[in-house]
Amino acid sequence: MIKFQNVLKKYDDVTALQGVNLQVRHGEFISLVGMSGAGKSTLLKLIIGEEHPDDGQVLIDDIDIATVSKTDLPYLRRKIGMVFQDIKLLPKRTAFENVAFAMEVCGHKKEKINGDVPKILDLVGLLHKRNHFPSQMSGGEKQRVAIARALAHRPVLLLADEPTGNLDEVNSDEVLELLLKINSLGTTVILATHASSLVNRIKRRVITIESGKIVREQAQGNYQL
Amino acid sequence: MESVSFLRVIKTGALNFWRNSWLSAAATMVMTITLVIFGLLFLLFGITNYSINTIKNTVDISVYFKVGLDEQQIFKIRDAVQADPRVKEVVYISQQQAFDEFKQRHQNDPLIVQSLNELTENPLSATLNVKTYHLEDYPAVAQSLQDPQYKDFISKVNFEDNRAVIDRLSRILKFIVTFGVGLIAVFCLIAALVVFNTIRLTIYNRKEEVEIMRLVGATNWYIRGPFLTESFLYALGATVLSALLFTPIFNQVLPKIAVYVNPQLTLFHQNLFNYWYLMGILLGLSLLLAAVSTLWAIRKYLKV
Repeated sequence: MIKFQNVLKKYDDVTALQGVNLQVRHGEFISLVGMSGAGKSTLLKLIIGEEHPDDGQVLIDDIDIATVSKTDLPYLRRKIGMVFQDIKLLPKRTAFENVAFAMEVCGHKKEKINGDVPKILDLVGLLHKRNHFPSQMSGGEKQRVAIARALAHRPVLLLADEPTGNLDEVNSDEVLELLLKINSLGTTVILATHASSLVNRIKRRVITIESGKIVREQAQGNYQL
Repeated sequence: MESVSFLRVIKTGALNFWRNSWLSAAATMVMTITLVIFGLLFLLFGITNYSINTIKNTVDISVYFKVGLDEQQIFKIRDAVQADPRVKEVVYISQQQAFDEFKQRHQNDPLIVQSLNELTENPLSATLNVKTYHLEDYPAVAQSLQDPQYKDFISKVNFEDNRAVIDRLSRILKFIVTFGVGLIAVFCLIAALVVFNTIRLTIYNRKEEVEIMRLVGATNWYIRGPFLTESFLYALGATVLSALLFTPIFNQVLPKIAVYVNPQLTLFHQNLFNYWYLMGILLGLSLLLAAVSTLWAIRKYLKV
């Protein structure tokens, strides 16, 4: 599904990624681990086409992301859901409206939005909080709303960039359980994190990045630095 | 799906226009001032140009023939003048025509009518009215008619030299154009900057929203749409305000100026300019200003 072929990415003189070769198959759950600044976020940005590699190729279903035109990029992004550490919910909209927003901007009809959003909120276990504003929810709940928003387009791939970075242990566990549930429903998930306890618990494929290079790959790995 | 998006874009834009009413009012006012200045200069330019043309039309050479001259001889001279490439038209007024016109013109003056009735023969001479293509050709053409070969036939060659007035008006016109273009450019720039800043403030307020829109796959046009709608509303507002300000000018002021410049105008031809034509230009100008400044302001936020 996703292939990195000898990818090099630099920001001015700083090398963010180099010599990265990676293959992600459909339906996988991958933990991308490494310290802050190791290059995890850059790798995710390359997948959604927000950054382009200085050398090498990033292929999604055999299409080179660098060749996707600016006009087509939004359509690619509808196939990829993204979740962030800082959550990025619109504070003046309710949980329902935040999820609906993602569908509105893509031109879905009101009837479809009204039908789909409750189902997605139910999936993340927040249907009862549909009319709550972000300020009325806990950190974990907000992150689950953000995940619901990322799922609104029924993406084939979900990228989670430190989704538990600002959450306590209980909330982190909730978010992780949710990501595993989404993965079990068929969506490929890439989780970038430095939370060792989470990674160790789930026993899935782990890719470790250090200073822009992949230094370790384990099929059912542990977090090791 | 497309029409749903289009309606959503328009709705969001209109809502933002309303929510930022103070910013919207400021942007609309500056745009209105620009449009009014543009409109006034446009009218001033038009009036001056019209005056020049009216005066130009009054210039001609009158050639008076000696009384009792054979008409064939006059025609010969007329044809010779007509053959001159500088000459645009030659109108022949016979003795009888000149007499009739004179009578017509003074029909309300009993003294003249009485005197005319006492005449036994027509004292007026036949004339040729000559117009040239270019103003500067008049003196030369008038000079050529004073040639000795015509001495026996022509009693007088006369032309009213309005070239000094025309020259002065042309200079004024040139000044209006130079000064006006500069003034319009400055005000267009100010209006564009104000709209640019207003839109930038709005975008700044909604930075997060724009970022999320991009992340969830909104197309660039969907993101630009509401901001464009908002600035088009400034443009529409400014055009409507200018239209209101120009209505009395068109109804009261322009007809008076037109009659002053050219007293022969009838009531139905007093509108030198078409009101809707000018409003169309103003609308076009304001939409252009709005579009350019908005796309310029939003560019930064759409870089992928």
